[in-house]
Amino acid sequence: MRVDTFELRVESRDGNLGLLEVAGYINNEAGEAIAREARRLLDSGHHTLLLDLSSTRIINSIGISLLLEVLEQILEIKGTLAFCSLSPSIAKTFQIMGLSQYTKVYPDRTAALAALAGRA
Amino acid sequence: MAEPQRVRLVLPHRPHVELDAGQAVETLGLEAGFSHDTLAEVRLAVVEACLNALEYGGGEIEVEVAAHTDGSPWLEVRIVDHGPGFDPAAVPRPQLRAKLRADRKRGWGLELMRRLMDEVEISSRPGRTQVRMVRRQRGG
Repeated sequence: MRVDTFELRVESRDGNLGLLEVAGYINNEAGEAIAREARRLLDSGHHTLLLDLSSTRIINSIGISLLLEVLEQILEIKGTLAFCSLSPSIAKTFQIMGLSQYTKVYPDRTAALAALAGRA
Repeated sequence: MAEPQRVRLVLPHRPHVELDAGQAVETLGLEAGFSHDTLAEVRLAVVEACLNALEYGGGEIEVEVAAHTDGSPWLEVRIVDHGPGFDPAAVPRPQLRAKLRADRKRGWGLELMRRLMDEVEISSRPGRTQVRMVRRQRGG
């Protein structure tokens, strides 16, 4: 897997859950793409967003700051921002920032979808 | 005493160039016996230091990665830019609650570097800012 490329796949799931599957390096450009798609999902009535980071190994602080914009928007509508399949270094980054206070983190997509099914 | 393995890079102001420094960390770190998980943390700290240097330095930056293998392995990384300099003590520590309300949500780089590395030293004056960071392999 090349680390400097970025791909984003978006799915609308039943129950107002939006799934964003992110692959590659999350920097400013990737963060903006994620924020743009997240806003589109929220505007179309999704209240729960799940970011699957199973193919992401590095996220820089500019990318993180753009995810905080998404989180701010979700908190305003009392929705849920969730992550799954974090690499150990990304999990540590989120822990340093204190993100677990405001988001849900699941070990994999199956666990996340099972837990979020009742929320969305 | 074994001489450290070193990689020196001069990086231009270009998108994704910070990843080249991260790759140097990965290559030397693996040879020195570091775990992938530790190297992922060092790589992020180095990416953050490079991004700061590129943004505030304005031009090309210099990066030196050294893998020391005398005893338990340790990595030492120096990042130098030639910008106007700054006072590291004046950089506020970010708080998530405040950042969520603020217009500017950036400002996490230095905090991440300090929390991911064992040592972070910054010396800065107009024309030269150097960040020196150290990470040791723990356990095993």
